[in-house]
Amino acid sequence: MDYSDEVLTRVRAPQRVGALPAGPGVGTGESGTLEQGTVIRIGVRVSGERIVEARFKVFGCSAAIASASLVAEWLEHTPVAAAAMLTPERVVQALQLAPEREYVARMAVAAARDAVANAAEVESEKST
Amino acid sequence: MIYLDHHATTPVDARVLEAMLPYFGERFGNAASKQHAFGWAASDAVERARKQVAALIGASGKDVIFTSGATEANNLAIKGAATARQGERDHLVTVATEHKAVLDPMGRLARAGWTVTVLPVNGAGLIDLNELADAITERTALVSVMAANNEIGTLQPIKDAAALAHAKGAWFHTDAVQAVGKVPFDVEALDADLVSMTAHKLYGPKGAGALYVRRPSTSPGAGKRDVKLVAQLDGGGHERGLRSGTLNVPGIVGFGQAAEIARTEMREEAGRTRALRDRLLQALRSKTDGVAVNGTLDARLPGNLNVTFAGVDGEALLVSLGDIAVSSGAACTAAEPSHVLVALGLTKDRALASLRFGIGRATTQVEVDYAAAKVSEVVARLRQMSPV
Repeated sequence: MDYSDEVLTRVRAPQRVGALPAGPGVGTGESGTLEQGTVIRIGVRVSGERIVEARFKVFGCSAAIASASLVAEWLEHTPVAAAAMLTPERVVQALQLAPEREYVARMAVAAARDAVANAAEVESEKST
Repeated sequence: MIYLDHHATTPVDARVLEAMLPYFGERFGNAASKQHAFGWAASDAVERARKQVAALIGASGKDVIFTSGATEANNLAIKGAATARQGERDHLVTVATEHKAVLDPMGRLARAGWTVTVLPVNGAGLIDLNELADAITERTALVSVMAANNEIGTLQPIKDAAALAHAKGAWFHTDAVQAVGKVPFDVEALDADLVSMTAHKLYGPKGAGALYVRRPSTSPGAGKRDVKLVAQLDGGGHERGLRSGTLNVPGIVGFGQAAEIARTEMREEAGRTRALRDRLLQALRSKTDGVAVNGTLDARLPGNLNVTFAGVDGEALLVSLGDIAVSSGAACTAAEPSHVLVALGLTKDRALASLRFGIGRATTQVEVDYAAAKVSEVVARLRQMSPV
């Protein structure tokens, strides 16, 4: 499997690996199952209208690690509203993923959207 | 880069390359050109190489047929035997852990109407001789059992398997690609009829292989088993009519030289690679938990190690290693698990989380220690990264 340097760098020296402890503004989203061979979990912490922290955990192939890592990188310090512009196509293009690996980009984005939605829900519950 | 994938291929030994070079240059003749010195020189070189390859397996030179590699040798053995015995027999026996170069020809013959029995292996990767005996009948034309497995290094009981085949009049073929030059292999002691080999697994060039084909013995009292294959390539009748086509003279010269080096250095090299393999395993076990060896350590190629690391994705492990070249338990980019590991009973995710290491002639202790440390570090990182 030929990977771009973007993928290789994120696999060999991953940044933002981890989980955020439950708390104000923290949301988590997850895609995939162990049986499927890929599990991507994204955690974000929202403060006001901004995602101030993003972390990821992955069980899966290099493309999955790179996709989750890139998504976490893009989310951090991003307005919550901008997170909705995150698409699998952007991930595929940035990482130059082969067609047979595009599904992990969809999983990473789905996990990210869930995380942001959950964080927003927690934020809104806090304010009610 | 550290290369620990010597079961995939090996670098050409400098001594082999030196032997080959003249046959790309001033000695470029076609070994089939009988009318002039260029052809004679090429032919002489081929015959020298034939004897060298034969000596590696305890055979006579005349019994060695050169091919383009082991895949072609396997196809010639299996299809050639089936075609020769068609009408008289209709059954073939092989093993689930064979290389695709055996299983795929067997599959083609099955689609053509042959009955093919594929025997399972136990958790150590070994065949059960009782099951093999039960599977072979008076209708069996050929039994094919790999001498040494390319993924888990398992050494099968070839002599016993050959005897069981012969007891019912079946011929016996073994894919000995990974065995020859690494462990003692004598066609007479094993009583094998057909043996596939290739140069590039023993520090020779790619594109040169051979099939040993037993000829009827003329010794008094010896068995009269007459293994007559039907050629799969027509066009000139080269190699006793069994494999037409211009011979790859430089490749064959290289094969011969590689075979001679392997024969003379085998014992020392086996001891060295075994010690390095054991050192690698010990280091991995001391630095990482959840390390399981696939296959038995008892009947195994000296330089082979295949291990599963619980809780990691094998592809991610492989890519994360970066400067260490090994292969994984995935069969292809579609992340299908190795059929060999599945045959051992591994689940898909465990098969995919496996690495195969192949220690080689130039592998050093420093490289082994580095590999153990790096693998352990990467495994720890991937496990920490995992949400499950």
